[in-house]
Parts: sequence; structure tokens; C-alpha cells
Amino acid sequence: MEIKTEQFTELARKELKNERTRFFLKVIPAVMKARRDAGMANLPDPSAAMACGAAIRAEALARLPELLEEFEKNATANGMKVFWARDDKEANEFIKKLAKEKGVRYVTKGKSMVTEETALNELLEEHGIEVWETDLGEFIAQQLHRPPFHIVGPAINVPVEEVRDLFIQKIGLKEPTLDPIQLGYAARLFLRDKFHHVQMGVTGVNVAVAETGTIINVENEGNIRFTKASPPVQVSVMSLEKVVASMEDALHMIRLVCRNCTGQRISVYVSMDSGPKKKDEIDGPEELYIVIVDNGRSKIYQDAKARDALRCIRCGACLVSCPVWRQVGGYAYGWAYSGPMGQVLNPMILGLERTQELYRASTLCGSCKSICPVGIDHPSLFLYYRAKDVLGDPNFKSVNRPWMERKFFKMFSWAAATPWAWNMGVRMARPIMNKDAQNGVVSKAKGPFQGWFRSRNIPAMAGDTFHDRWKNNLKDKG
Amino acid sequence: MAQSVRDEILAKLRAAPSVGVPTRPTLPPYKTLSMNQEQLIAEFIARLAEEAVAVHRVKDFPEVLDRLTVIASEEGLKKVMTSADDVISRLDLAGWGKKNDIQVMTPRDFPDRNSYRDAVFDQAQAGITGADFAVAESATIGLIHNKDQSRLVSLAPILHIAIVPVDRIIPVYEKAIEKAFAKKGEYPSQFVFITGPSMTGDIQGVLFKGMHGPRKVIVILVG
Repeated sequence: MEIKTEQFTELARKELKNERTRFFLKVIPAVMKARRDAGMANLPDPSAAMACGAAIRAEALARLPELLEEFEKNATANGMKVFWARDDKEANEFIKKLAKEKGVRYVTKGKSMVTEETALNELLEEHGIEVWETDLGEFIAQQLHRPPFHIVGPAINVPVEEVRDLFIQKIGLKEPTLDPIQLGYAARLFLRDKFHHVQMGVTGVNVAVAETGTIINVENEGNIRFTKASPPVQVSVMSLEKVVASMEDALHMIRLVCRNCTGQRISVYVSMDSGPKKKDEIDGPEELYIVIVDNGRSKIYQDAKARDALRCIRCGACLVSCPVWRQVGGYAYGWAYSGPMGQVLNPMILGLERTQELYRASTLCGSCKSICPVGIDHPSLFLYYRAKDVLGDPNFKSVNRPWMERKFFKMFSWAAATPWAWNMGVRMARPIMNKDAQNGVVSKAKGPFQGWFRSRNIPAMAGDTFHDRWKNNLKDKG
Repeated sequence: MAQSVRDEILAKLRAAPSVGVPTRPTLPPYKTLSMNQEQLIAEFIARLAEEAVAVHRVKDFPEVLDRLTVIASEEGLKKVMTSADDVISRLDLAGWGKKNDIQVMTPRDFPDRNSYRDAVFDQAQAGITGADFAVAESATIGLIHNKDQSRLVSLAPILHIAIVPVDRIIPVYEKAIEKAFAKKGEYPSQFVFITGPSMTGDIQGVLFKGMHGPRKVIVILVG
């Protein structure tokens, strides 16, 4: 997937003018948020459940190296083959090589955010291996070459007319229809044939369980179950933070992720693999590969604060609660992860310089933090990233600020700490600032400050400082 | 080569600063944990209705066959695939098929994956399975996949009929996991929770049942 995180403002502007997006965003996020709230409400103590989710993920991260080793040991004992990949290239290369070795013509894929991150599909297709995304939304997004609009409904915003035209062109839809159910059925029939003959399946992993060496997938459609049941070779790709300590922890996370995703008590299917099929079984994989992908996470992990971003379980609740996402939708964020989730993850994975506007496009209202089932403090991370960026921290690929700006703030902080300079400054600044005032409001400025007024006004400053007025007032009374 | 990448990643993680973790609150128990058997059955049935799953309650196994006959005629079934699990093996489905002129297949009838896939994808109009667990918490059926419980039987046909003895109803998922994962080294290659028919809302948020898996799930509750 092409990374367009640098184009946030541009893409957001475009989406703000897109009538379809406007209409869609008026309706669906509110419905999804209401479903999520109703789902959480059927837990005996929703806030304790969230606190527990936060603790489970925090503990898992605190014990990450140990849990990964335990997972690997148990998964291997269960007969899985574990491969570690430093980055996208190593992960993709391994899967490509395996597909070539097995001589497969195509693979079916269950939704996997990490392979969107590593752009696996593009690499496989470059090497002549067809890739079929099989989650309906992913299938549509893939055919349209678009990033996911929403993590759970990647193409939920795409109008039916567009889906119809796409299906006529790509899957030979014979009877054009605008009925979403008929369109879904056409996709079922088309992909069913792929499942029927598939020789290698690729999936993601929702949770990996250290104590048992088990991987768990959560889904509603059945495409992941097909991808794990039908072909003789299964590859499941996980980013390294997916591991939790125990089955008990995993069950709690499943209860949380389903409710926060779609409001369901549990998704239609939860499948747990602890090894390839046994000899006497007729379906399921003969070989099961687990690819553990780092792709920058071990570096994020070095920073005790930024590490919290790795708690994310990709439920998507923060998207529909975010006042910014609810205006611009998912495309503006320019990559696999959108909304507050993307705003905390993308800057860490891609670097602060390529994601400048992501961690700044926030009102810091804290809605995401309040809804997050694993206790991520998004606003505080945004501020942290901004600070790192401004200070030019090389570990985060930050860009620092222009020379003028740095000088200005250096002077400002000196003046703010030096009374005589401050007093002189506030007197001198008044006429300069009020020069552009109209009806007591300043709404523009020339020079380096004009950007500040792009979306803000301030009242004009009073002629005298408070100190001066206090002094004069006293003198009058005296 | 692979070994060194592993060690390199783990070493990096180990070298990172350690941080404190929040304490875990005590969670109140799920309400199904305090229910007796009758209440659990009622809860399971109520949740099934929420998931739009049809429930037929029968008093014993011979009655299951009668009910299957009714369902088969309603659904127009001519060819079905059944698993060979310990619930199904209590029923004489082969005899039932002959009597009702329905072809009853099992995965064992097929020599290899490909011929089995042809049958389960293209021929079976319904998959009939037992259930290892039935979780009242969310009307969820738990299946342990093994030689007697093949994965595609409950997935590929458009209709899934699950036969659930009432004594398999349990309050929460944990009880199922405790049993299915009781012995290290003997974990099921796959364990699956199924809750209602396959579905999606991916086109404009319109809910659609039968996306890839069954469009309809029928539960026959025995006892």
C-alpha cells in the first residue's frame, strides 16, 4: 500500500468535500458507537473490564521477551514452525519463497493488518502469485486499490453503485444489482471457488497465547476459517506485541475486542490453532507457519512511554469516537491504521518526519482515551510525539523546527523568565498586534505568525497592561 | 540466519527499560456462573434467538431423527455431510438417510483432501455436527476439531445443523477451554467457537447472513 501519511491535510480537504463521505460519516459512526456502548454495558462491570484489559496488555508488554520465547517454545512443541522477521522485507520474502517452493498459483488471505503494513500483497503479485483478500470489505478495498476507510469495515463507505461496477468488471457479475445482499452473495460465490481449490492460506493473528502456543483469530464472515481449513499450507503473520500470557487473558481480550469492535458479545467465529492438523485429520494445514514480525516495534519498545502504543488490539472503537475521524474518515490518515489508533501507531512505525500532521490533527479531547479498552492515553502520546519532534530526537526520526522558530522560542523562554524583559515586551507587543484588529478581534497577522490564525482568532489586547491599570487606578483613588 | 534474527530481536527487547504495570481489578463473576442447569438452558435458548438461530428442543436421541426428517423436508435436503463426533455417533444417520432418500456423506468416505473438498463445497447442502460445548454466555457452540470433527463440515455447506445435548451447556467460555486444553501435548489442532450464522456488514453497513460460511444455523437441543 502506498504510504500517503504526508498528505493528511490535502486528503482531509478532499474528503471534507466528498458528499458520499459526508453522508456516510453523519450516520454510521454514531450507530457503531452506540452498538459498542450497548455491548460493553452487558458486561457485569464495564469499567473494571476495561481496567483489566489495560492490565493484561501492560503485563504482556512488560514481560514481552519472556512471553515470546514461551510462545515460540510451545508453538514449536505443538508442531508449528516459527519464523522471525526483522522487517517487512524479511517477512514478505519468507512468505514469497514459501509460496514459490509450494508452487502455488494464488493464496487466499484473511484480514491481516500487519500484512497491509508490510505490503505483502504487492510483493506476491509482483512475483506472479495472485492474492485474494477474502474479507468482503478487504476484497473491495483491494480491488479498488484503496486503504481501509475503517479498520472493521474497510470499504463500508464505498457506494453500492461503485461496488456493482467493480463486480461487473472484476468478478463477472451477471445481473447488475444495487442490493448489497445480492452483491455480497456474488462475492461469496466468486471467493468460494478460491477457497475450494486453495493450496496456501495467509492470515493474521488477533491473540497469541504463550502458555499454550496457540494463535487465535476473531471474525464474522468465515473467510479466516476457510483460509485455515481448506489449504494444506497455512501462514499466520503476527506483529510481536500480539502475545498474552494465558488462555484466561486471551478470553478476556476476546470479550473486549468483540464488544468494542461491533458491539457483539463474541464474533461469529473464534478459531484457535495449536498446531497443524493431526495425521488422521482430512482438513486443516499439514504445515503451519507463524511469522513473528518486528518491523520497528522492538525500537518503539525501548521508549517506556511510547511503548504504550503497542497495547493496541485494533478494535477500532477510538475511530468512531474521534471528532476528527468522524469528519475526515479513514483515507486522510494515508495508511493501514487510521484514527487515533493510527495517530499513535503510524508515527512510531514510519517515523515522526513522515507523519507530521497525524499527531497534530487532534483536539486532545480525550474521547479516544476514555473509550480505549486497553488504557492507551492517546492525547498524552500525541503531546509526547510533538515534543520529541520539536526537540529533534533522532531516535524517532523527528525533524526539529526551522531555525527562526527555534530562536524565537529560545528568546521567548528567556523573556518569560526575566521580569524586566517581559514587562517591556508586553508593552511593545500591543501596538504591533492590534494593528490588524477589527472590532476588537485580531484574525490575521503578517509574517511568521500568519499560520497561527488559519483557524483561530484572538481578542485584541487592551491598551494598557494589567499592571499599568492597577497602578493608575490606585493613583486615581489615592 | 533465522536463529540470529530471533536472538537479535529478543536481545533488543530484553535490553529495554522495565516499567511498572497497573494492578488488575477484581472482576465480578458473569451472571451465567450463578445459574442452575434449567436457567442455563433458558439463557442459551434466549441468546440463540438473539443470534437468529432456530432452536428445536427434543426429549431424546430417537426424536432427533424425527426432527431432522422434518428439517430435511423443509430445507429440501438431498445430500448432507456429517461429522463423526460422539454426539453424531449416537444417531443412526446412515439408516435415517436410506429411509428418507437422503445421501449422507462423512469425511471418511473420501480418500483425500481434494475429493473431500469437492463434496463438502459443491454437494453437501447441509453440515450436521454435534457440539462439544454450548456456552450460555453468548449462545456459542464449541467444537474440538479432530479426526471425527472435520473443519469444513460446519463451515462450507450453506446450512449448519448442530445437535446439542443439554448437559453440554456451560456458563462461560473458560469452562470449555479448561477441558479442551486440559492436557499439554494433546491440545486440539483447532478449537472453534461458533455463534450464529456467518455474516458481514461490509457493504454500506447492511447486514448480510451467509457471507462465506452458513447462512443458517439450526440447533437441535436434546434433553
